[in-house]
Amino acid sequence: MRKTRIVVVMLLCLVVPVPGAAAPPATATTDIGTLDATTVAKPFKSKTTYSPPAGWNYPRRVYWGDTHLHTSASMDAGAFGNRLGFEEAYRFARGEELTSSTGQRVKLARPLDFLAITDHSDNMGFFPALLAGKPEMLADATGKRWHDMVQKGGEHGVKAALEIIDAFSRGNFPPALMSLPGTAAYQSSWKQIIAAAEKYNEPGRFTAFIGYEWTSQVPPGNNLHRVVIYRDGGDKAVQTEPFTTYPPQGSTTPEDLWKVLQAYEDKTGGRVLAIAHNGNLSNGMMFPVEVNPATGKPLTGEYAKTRARWEPLYEATQMKGDGEAHPFLSPNDELAGYELWDKGNLNLSEVKTPEMLQAEYARTALQTGLQLEAKLGTNPYKFGMIGSTDSHTSLTTADDDNFFGKHAGAEPNPTRATHEFMRNGDVFLMGWQQVASGYAGVWAADNTRDAIWDAMKRKETYATTGPRMMVRFFGGWDFTPADAETRSPADAGYTKGVPMGGDLPAPPKKGTAPSFLVAALKDPIGGNLDRIEIVKGWVDAAGTRQEKVHDVVWSDGRRVGADGKLPPVGNTVDVANATFTNTIGDTELIAAWTDPDFDPKLRAVYYARVLEIPTPRWTAYDAKRLGVTMAKDVPMFGQERAYTSPIWYTPKS
Amino acid sequence: MLRRRARELLREPLFHFFALGALIFLIAALRAAPAGRDPGERRIVVTAGDVQHIADGFARTWQRPPTATELAGLVDEWIRDEVYYREATALGLERDDAVVRRRLRQKMEFVVEDAVMGAPPTDTELQAWLDAHPDDFRTPATLSFRHVYLDRDRRGARAEDDARALAVRLGRGGPDADIAAVGDAIMLPTDYDDVSAPEVASTFGDAFAEALATAPVSAWHGPIASGYGLHVVVVRTRTPGRVPALADVRDAVVREVTAARRKRMLDDAYAALRARYEVEVDPAAGAATVAAR
Repeated sequence: MRKTRIVVVMLLCLVVPVPGAAAPPATATTDIGTLDATTVAKPFKSKTTYSPPAGWNYPRRVYWGDTHLHTSASMDAGAFGNRLGFEEAYRFARGEELTSSTGQRVKLARPLDFLAITDHSDNMGFFPALLAGKPEMLADATGKRWHDMVQKGGEHGVKAALEIIDAFSRGNFPPALMSLPGTAAYQSSWKQIIAAAEKYNEPGRFTAFIGYEWTSQVPPGNNLHRVVIYRDGGDKAVQTEPFTTYPPQGSTTPEDLWKVLQAYEDKTGGRVLAIAHNGNLSNGMMFPVEVNPATGKPLTGEYAKTRARWEPLYEATQMKGDGEAHPFLSPNDELAGYELWDKGNLNLSEVKTPEMLQAEYARTALQTGLQLEAKLGTNPYKFGMIGSTDSHTSLTTADDDNFFGKHAGAEPNPTRATHEFMRNGDVFLMGWQQVASGYAGVWAADNTRDAIWDAMKRKETYATTGPRMMVRFFGGWDFTPADAETRSPADAGYTKGVPMGGDLPAPPKKGTAPSFLVAALKDPIGGNLDRIEIVKGWVDAAGTRQEKVHDVVWSDGRRVGADGKLPPVGNTVDVANATFTNTIGDTELIAAWTDPDFDPKLRAVYYARVLEIPTPRWTAYDAKRLGVTMAKDVPMFGQERAYTSPIWYTPKS
Repeated sequence: MLRRRARELLREPLFHFFALGALIFLIAALRAAPAGRDPGERRIVVTAGDVQHIADGFARTWQRPPTATELAGLVDEWIRDEVYYREATALGLERDDAVVRRRLRQKMEFVVEDAVMGAPPTDTELQAWLDAHPDDFRTPATLSFRHVYLDRDRRGARAEDDARALAVRLGRGGPDADIAAVGDAIMLPTDYDDVSAPEVASTFGDAFAEALATAPVSAWHGPIASGYGLHVVVVRTRTPGRVPALADVRDAVVREVTAARRKRMLDDAYAALRARYEVEVDPAAGAATVAAR
């Protein structure tokens, strides 16, 4: 694939006349033969064919997957009682029914198309060793205590898990207990992960990515986690081991991760990318605005370039809170408060203060990226969006009516919603705050590692909080309402513009504003659609971040009120029975929209947000099926949504 | 004939019992072989191989060989382990230790697993499995079809009648009838070529996919309901799923055969070992401690 692209670039160089240079030669000899203009033209489809589908080579299908799943090989997952390994995780994602760690039969409503198992690189294999009571574990007083607690099981096991995670995130994990890269135990864990991925990867049918999570927690527990996804097979991935966070081998600084990723590519010729998640638990560190927390100095051009190079995507929604937007940052967006986790950092050891928020949420980070681009020459936060679960049960469940919780202790049971999920002093999170979210939609040409990874790299992806709605988003300079009336918007989309994740080309002439073609089709077994919004972020002439949410197209012929706001779509949720009806909302929404406030001198970024009508939240299904009485403050329904990767506009300098 | 006998023998728990016995004997013999490894003996020999092993372990962690001082320290540590190990086992300290018991059970299971997994499955065995479980490997049915969408929201109560009328009208044009401007707009393509049934189900919903599986071929038909609304469809071709040749699904069959064999072997091996013991559980023992429910 990569090779092909290079060849194409070479060919283009051959045939495009360079101004000022001599006329290009009519033929060119390469080491695979002589090229002339006719031969060169052959692979490029002629513009018009009689049969319309014959010209289509753009992605026609969206593939669904989870890029972030933990199995029993992750130490915290194991400690919470997860006994399902890699094989079970893959089989489940492929649609098989199996028995969960707590003995419950479980199956996905629909199989996924791809999965990345991303166990924590630190202490990979720690838990199996602890459980087996390896002598070096028991020689340490803390290790012995944890071992005993886990052996006792139940509440004790959960307590041990919390202590383990806490010790880790505070940076005082007993050194004697570390499972370190380079040891035989560590290497065998990594090889098992690779072998399982190789076994279940079936090009064309199911893609199993090799991956891991680099779980960087800057003390006292600020979340800078990234998952790392390999494009390659085991032959390459096995040549290096995952990067960890504990010194001296590991580090909690993203720059060090990027160095290791570079070293991997240099050594193997492979390709790899990293996806950050849970900025909401980073306490102001995920998307630094001015100062790099690792160095205490202003961010540099080098930082921006390297980050943009390795991190093309951001996981904008998952079980530990939604990360698209926060009401404090987006006071004019009444739909911005979705499933927030904003009390503190990952272990609640430090409470959240409002000034941290600007460096935590995707929407604001996209705008900060524009500011930094003006200053540093590169936009470090030029990321696309995906959703994933971060489930620790080996079960990739993101549907509210089939939610198996964050960890084995939170698989369906009558107390999972009403018990505390985590507490630190006066700060706590309740079980009901877990979010049944999310999945990654990827517009790829085929279901293979290469095709899906390449689509992720070019950001032709979107995040959903669980439902599988189909979303198209294109930007260009001449989309018109007529394009929204054609039967295949993608035809117009790819012909006249760039898809989600792309850059607007330079405006064709002065005074033109960018236009967007956006379309969404409901999940065939989900709720109807409420509306599509386009969120615009920009930096004004004074260098200040700005944003505006535009309602672009909505259901049921509603009229915008005198206050300029679209009235809510309504609500059909019957909480007591955990049901809803598709009597409101639309099956499909589609529109062409032109930015009414465009200023060609200002950098801008646009993405689409698609909202479903309200549907029951997992807490409503728990209340109904398990006979649980939920407290008054527990939300029982919500509006699930999708966030597309953005399209950027950069003025000519 | 002989081969079948052999296969039956392989399944025999008694055979496993003997095989295991032989294996344990072999392991014991091998372990006893190097001089100085008997816990009762008062001689500890650190061989060149042992030292190499220790040094290799260090190098894997630190990405460099140990210095002389480091290596001496590591060897001392190894000897210390060995001394304590021998003394502890001599005192029987491992016997009532839950951790050691669990660990040894695990090691034993690994040993059994390695031993019983044996040779990779033969083609005959794979073919037999494929024949016995054809549905696990059947390729999905594929079909080519065209559809016209009718929006229930827009058409309300008329939608069903409209669909029926449309099916009749399109029927006059045949499977290739021009549908570019018929029905209501939807983002989905109108023509699907060679798509698998699961793919249809994931795009349109299960009920729609099932209806297409029995719809007449080459005739416009409808309405069929999907998660979006109503559709009038014509199935052009339908290829039923088939059980592929072993060569095409070899990896998948090996995966299943090995998984099944592993489970059966471990169960059998345990049963064989278990049969060597007479187990008595004091019937009154649990009564006092079992939680009341």
